[in-house]
Amino acid sequence: MKNFKFLMLLLPCIFIFAGTASAELTIKANHDNIKIDFFYHGSTVSVAGNADSGTDLIIKIASPEGHEILKQKGKVAGLLWMNTGTLNLGHVPGLYSIYSTKKIEDLLSRKEMDKYVIGYPALGRQIEMTPVSNEDEKSKWFNEFVKYKESSNLYTISSGKIMTTAKDGKQAYYILTGWPYQAPPGDYLVTVYAVKDKKVLEKAESKVSVEQVGIIKMLAGMAKNKAALYGIISIMAALAAGFGVGLIFRKGGGAH
Amino acid sequence: MNFMYLYLPVALTSINIIIPVGLGLAVGLLSGLFGVGGGFLMTPLLIMFGIPSTVAAATDSNQIVAASTSGTYAHWKVGNVDFKMGVYLLIGGFIGGLFGVQAIKVLNATGNADFVIKMTYVLMLGIVGTYMLIESLNSMKKKKTEAVKTEKESGLTKFLKSLPFQTHFEKSGVTHSTLIPLLFGGFVGILAAIMGVGGGFLMVPVMVYILKMPMHVVVGTSLFQILFNCIEVTFLQAYTNHNVDFILAVLLLLGSTVGAQIGAVFGRKMKGEQLKIILAVIVLVVTVKIIFELTLTPSLLLSQAGGH
Repeated sequence: MKNFKFLMLLLPCIFIFAGTASAELTIKANHDNIKIDFFYHGSTVSVAGNADSGTDLIIKIASPEGHEILKQKGKVAGLLWMNTGTLNLGHVPGLYSIYSTKKIEDLLSRKEMDKYVIGYPALGRQIEMTPVSNEDEKSKWFNEFVKYKESSNLYTISSGKIMTTAKDGKQAYYILTGWPYQAPPGDYLVTVYAVKDKKVLEKAESKVSVEQVGIIKMLAGMAKNKAALYGIISIMAALAAGFGVGLIFRKGGGAH
Repeated sequence: MNFMYLYLPVALTSINIIIPVGLGLAVGLLSGLFGVGGGFLMTPLLIMFGIPSTVAAATDSNQIVAASTSGTYAHWKVGNVDFKMGVYLLIGGFIGGLFGVQAIKVLNATGNADFVIKMTYVLMLGIVGTYMLIESLNSMKKKKTEAVKTEKESGLTKFLKSLPFQTHFEKSGVTHSTLIPLLFGGFVGILAAIMGVGGGFLMVPVMVYILKMPMHVVVGTSLFQILFNCIEVTFLQAYTNHNVDFILAVLLLLGSTVGAQIGAVFGRKMKGEQLKIILAVIVLVVTVKIIFELTLTPSLLLSQAGGH
């Protein structure tokens, strides 16, 4: 309870000192350096700042655009589902989360959504996809792609979770989001957009970086850079464990 | 921080430790009982729990090294490993594997590799499971089919006996041409490489029905040759594909090494026929599961690329 009170007192301070004071819109991502250690099971990231009152807010968290290759399942002989090909996607973020004060369709025009790549339809129009023969097919596979990403918590769109409080003719905003453990190490860009009359008035950016540390970093690096040694150690450990357990069982009277 | 979860550095995901330890225990038990590696069960289960398919298959072979060491050791203690037969099967399997890898390259070039692989898998599982089930049920009931069977098989037996390089396998109590384990080991090796599995479920019936080895020696010998196969596969996977997750392998082997010992103890208390029936049922259940997967609309039409 004490902690909670302390946090409540601290919260406005975070808002005040967050971001750059000169801009109308400010942003600060707390816990912005996520460390993947031995017991890592995802994390949380809070995003907070100040905005003009009377504006709506959209927060986008995304990894830099890249290239993904996925296996496609399709029906063979009209009966059996199996892998039928590969889908190549370009200009696609590995992680893409949108949080907004209201539904984004009610906040922005299509033109603005496309310009700032906000929302699945805008993302779908930006992505390059091969092989697809027409728009229908592209849209079908884009929907499948979103489903695939959502299943591992890497893509999400939700509205109404940003908390706002009026303060000195402005509004302070705050959101606490879960950070999925499936998100790989790398730098992620956090952008807040202040929106009014279907247009983006202003935007501000912050960063979240995710890195492996300790034994996880050591093992991941070794698997890639010292593959032969890594393979031999894996085999030796398995052989030792097998023999070890065999000996324990003999001593424990397992044999008869 | 939650101590029930561990992060897997190669799979790039986090897992509740109870899942791999439990899966290891269950599959290790089957391994010790039947002399199979259990890849046909373990790999799909790991994928179901969010492990990328390529990492699942590679890490499973690493864990099988531990389970089969534990199992071979347990069976060797009671004299149930035919090392001589195991070495011949291994040599055959190794050569077969080389051919199998080439066969996959040809299949990939033709563009319908996945179809051929899946069909081979379903047919092999189905045939082996059905045959083992019917045969062991019949011999349990001790019907009068024995006379017919010996007549049928005498042709094959005659042919096998006519081959050169006949040698006696003491532990198994059988005499064969050395060409036989080499040839059938090679046959299993080709199919296993094409299907991307260890092939224990094929090797066990080959030893029981073609090499006529007693079931208990079959289990120990099969584990012995699986051990060496999986050492080779683990190294190649780690070296060329960087797909072995050490932490996941350790969690799996914590369960599987113990499971293999328990399986070996249970196996000794059971009759060969009972073991064959249970293995046949498991193989058939897996076959049905794969058929369902092939015919029911999957929830996701996209998956990570790499592997089968």
